[in-house]
Amino acid sequence: MSRDIQIDQVSMVFYGRGEPVIALDKVDMHIPAGQFAAIIGPSGCGKSTLLRLVADVMQPFAGTIALGGETPAAARHAHSLGFVFQAPTLLPWRSVTQNIELPLDVVGRRSARRSARTTADLIALVGLRGFEHALPHTLSGGMQQRVAIARALMLTPDILLLDEPFGALDEITRQRMNLELLRIWSESGTSALLVTHSIAEAVFMSDRVYVMSARPGRITSIIDVPLERPRRLEMMRTPVFFDCVNAVRDGLFGHEMTQAAGQGQPVEAY
Amino acid sequence: MVAASAMPQALSAVWRPLLTGIVLIGLIEAAKRGHLLPVFVPAPSEVVMEVWNVPRLVTANLGPTAWKAFVGYCIAAAIAICAGSIAVSLRVLYGPIYNFGVMIHSVPIIATAPLLALWLGTGPQVQIAIAALASQFPMLVGTIQGLQAADARQRELMHVLAASRWQMLRYLLIPSALPYLFAGLKIAAPSAVLGAITAEWAGAERGVGAMMLYALFSYDTPKVWLSVVLTCLLAGGGFGLWALVERFAIYWQRDVEIAD
Repeated sequence: MSRDIQIDQVSMVFYGRGEPVIALDKVDMHIPAGQFAAIIGPSGCGKSTLLRLVADVMQPFAGTIALGGETPAAARHAHSLGFVFQAPTLLPWRSVTQNIELPLDVVGRRSARRSARTTADLIALVGLRGFEHALPHTLSGGMQQRVAIARALMLTPDILLLDEPFGALDEITRQRMNLELLRIWSESGTSALLVTHSIAEAVFMSDRVYVMSARPGRITSIIDVPLERPRRLEMMRTPVFFDCVNAVRDGLFGHEMTQAAGQGQPVEAY
Repeated sequence: MVAASAMPQALSAVWRPLLTGIVLIGLIEAAKRGHLLPVFVPAPSEVVMEVWNVPRLVTANLGPTAWKAFVGYCIAAAIAICAGSIAVSLRVLYGPIYNFGVMIHSVPIIATAPLLALWLGTGPQVQIAIAALASQFPMLVGTIQGLQAADARQRELMHVLAASRWQMLRYLLIPSALPYLFAGLKIAAPSAVLGAITAEWAGAERGVGAMMLYALFSYDTPKVWLSVVLTCLLAGGGFGLWALVERFAIYWQRDVEIAD
């Protein structure tokens, strides 16, 4: 089963010292079941907040979120959510196998709705065969993050939420992990929502890219990526890919670029 | 480090201090024989002869002190761990429990021991109570710090997994509390021994503290030193025992433990 993600007019306000901060301002989003969507935007645009709202870690200030017609809380209690954090967030006293099986321990091994996939399959899927009994601190950062992905897939979630999962990795490992992630995603058939800082990554991974602006966090443009599946690295050289990257870049810097063009100033963009 | 290399490492950690100790004792012995030391510093051999001549001195006094310190320590551990858990789960009681722990910890034992003897009567209960009071604080702090040690991400992870409160405790909070708890248990062990011995000064028939007091009043310096050595053995032994248990229980931090 797969769930769609329906976000309607969601706003989020943080009250701290001083002025209340509007993290999200009337955000609308719809991700059809089984699709891969990415959110891109500058730091502080509320993209991680949006992900946490979907995961029911926080409640929205206004607006509604529906995951396959249910509230995030209901989806969470149905164990339908897989969340991968920026940092691996493994439990250091548990081995690779035990970390991956943590969701099973929580749900109860007997009542767990087990897919055809076993822990051994998952370990093979993320390429960690031979490290089943290793403790997290003996693994590299990339391997730890792969354990975290396998853990998120343990209960075959309907929705996979990815908060800059490879942000801490180097470009080469990151590229490889992205390909693996896409392979895993296409095999599992879940809906996926990825938060990222990288334009190329957002376009390469998703069917649709949401571009956000900061303070207040708003969706400024939506770019559909018509690249076929499965995605291959060669596609990053195609005109379609470049068009999408440019569209996202326009969404992120469009305002500054038109301004700079008028003044004859070089634009700082990557 | 894997278990195979743990033994040689433990040995190399032991032989240096051991050698230093032996050399130091040898030097004191030589200095004493050469009449270089004042009369109130006994030769190490004199201290050993005390044990050799009257073995009952050790057997009769070490046991009661160890036993009383141990019982007091266990009571303190049970109460401190319970109180610490309550402090963490009920925010209202956090301040009061913490402050009460600090207060008890700051009370001078030497003054309260005679008072407690008046209230509780002159039996082992006074030494047990003082051992408990003297050792509670590190264990209380260890429990409180430890149960708060899990980071925000780990808590969010358990939340997304829809873990119950009990599962949160079992899978996350208790394991991440263990390193802090062990640190507390380790530091508290010598305090319990010292507490029991100080309490024995306020009136006890047997025990290292009693032996120390009698020896002091009769200017029997070898016996005073013997009681000091016994105290060190008890206190250090308690610490070492926990350090050993910790080394095996907190296996995921063993590398870190050796590094510092």
